[in-house]
Amino acid sequence: MRRLQLSIALAFALAVGSGAAALAQTNGAQTKPASESPRASSSFDPHDLSGVWMQDHPRLITVEERYWVYKFTVEEPPMTAWGQAQLNAAKTSFGPHAYPLAETNDPVYHTCAPLGFPRIYLYPLPLQIMQAPGQVIMLFEYDSTRHQIYTDGRSHDTALGPLWMGDSIGHWEGDTLVTDTVNFNDKTWLDRMGHPHSDQLHVVERIRRVDHDHLVDDLTIEDPKAYTKPWTAHQIFVLKPKWTLAEAFCEDQQSFEAIDESAGAPAKK
Amino acid sequence: MRNYLPGAALAFAMVLGHGAAAVAQTKPPAEASKAATSFDPHDLSGVWMQDRPRLGTVLERYWIYELTLEEPPMTAWGEVQYKAHKSSFGVHAYPLAETNDPIYRSCSPPGFPRAFFHAFPLQIVQAPGEVLVLYEWDSVRHQIFTDGRPHDTALGPLWMGDSIGHWEGDTLVTDTVNFNDKTWLDRIGHPHSDQLHVIERIRRVDRDHLVDEITIDDPKAYTKPWTGTIYFALKPKWTLAEEFCEDISSFENIEKQETTPAK
Repeated sequence: MRRLQLSIALAFALAVGSGAAALAQTNGAQTKPASESPRASSSFDPHDLSGVWMQDHPRLITVEERYWVYKFTVEEPPMTAWGQAQLNAAKTSFGPHAYPLAETNDPVYHTCAPLGFPRIYLYPLPLQIMQAPGQVIMLFEYDSTRHQIYTDGRSHDTALGPLWMGDSIGHWEGDTLVTDTVNFNDKTWLDRMGHPHSDQLHVVERIRRVDHDHLVDDLTIEDPKAYTKPWTAHQIFVLKPKWTLAEAFCEDQQSFEAIDESAGAPAKK
Repeated sequence: MRNYLPGAALAFAMVLGHGAAAVAQTKPPAEASKAATSFDPHDLSGVWMQDRPRLGTVLERYWIYELTLEEPPMTAWGEVQYKAHKSSFGVHAYPLAETNDPIYRSCSPPGFPRAFFHAFPLQIVQAPGEVLVLYEWDSVRHQIFTDGRPHDTALGPLWMGDSIGHWEGDTLVTDTVNFNDKTWLDRIGHPHSDQLHVIERIRRVDRDHLVDEITIDDPKAYTKPWTGTIYFALKPKWTLAEEFCEDISSFENIEKQETTPAK
């Protein structure tokens, strides 16, 4: 359904393996950073975030930057002793210290568990934003995942959960949608590298449509059990006016091993 | 987030067991027209919950798990599949430890139209050229394109199918094909093949009620197309909760607490 020459499986394979850089060249590297391309903007309502968006990281050049899609920042966040112990115990399936997929303990790869929030952003598949009165709905292509942000003035509901995607509320500050998400379970990783979080995770996002075609999301990740101080990440999304979300259930990606092998991923054997 | 008193797990437990009748004391939608106030029949947006009138008999308790109470006319192939499916519910139920229902064994996607047959609400959201049905259960969604595009046979086979729709007056007519054959049509175990073709006629009959007439056409599994109707009531104060299959780890415990008609 998406007007993408690559099928979903191939796109997935590319990004799982070393092909992420290739994906970035077609989508991202030729795009200027959003804040520097005001002439791309035509008429738009900054409070209208609706449409299909794809992550778009400019200037991916170094080996480390190939892994952008699997973690939020290239710098290591400042971990507590507990956080470091969790990270050390994580047998990640990707990156310079990758375990083979048969040995990883990444929850997604063995049981198709929900990715959780905010890890859901770190998949090389698009998302669609829809708005309804009092809510902003993010629909992620991967695994039919839904993230609903209530902007009707309600407060967090601590009776809920703990939740995989958290409990999200938001409000507009000028043209910026500020979201606040708490009430998480501790079953997910923050990224494919195995950066941990606890049930004290608190995510604040500042989402802004900087021009017609670009969305910028500044995330602050706070988790006093796992990190010594809050740390931030910056994401850029580009509008894909002709794309529609496809079906990409985790259950159809049964051949993670085959995909990684055929894509020549830098997995240690 | 939803404002009803029992938690989601309890609501699930109630409907798994004998509590379904309690849900059912609402008047039939057609007789509730005085509840209608101003509404746009082309606006289906909101949170909706299945609402079947007149559930009295034991058999009707199972409304939530299948489309009709009548047996659909199965082909020999369909009959073989049906007999091989060890349903966890209904008059010939297997214990959950023995069922081969794909949802209960591996939390696989429910597929379409089975996504309707869970005791949880759905939310409809509309955008230009599309209608999205977001099911609380397992975060699944059903995207219906109304922009005039044809089916895309290069896709799939898909769990939720490839859906297009158009308006005929005040009725949204949807057409869904391109399915895989990994799901059951309902919890009872009615089968389908990859030839499944589902037609819906969805109409907002008054402000608070939605009627969905569903026709199942699958020449491999059924000797002729068959139809069932499901009803929904608007829940203006509800919002969808998170209801991932992974959190329902205690199917067995839930069922044990209820007086289920286990074999």
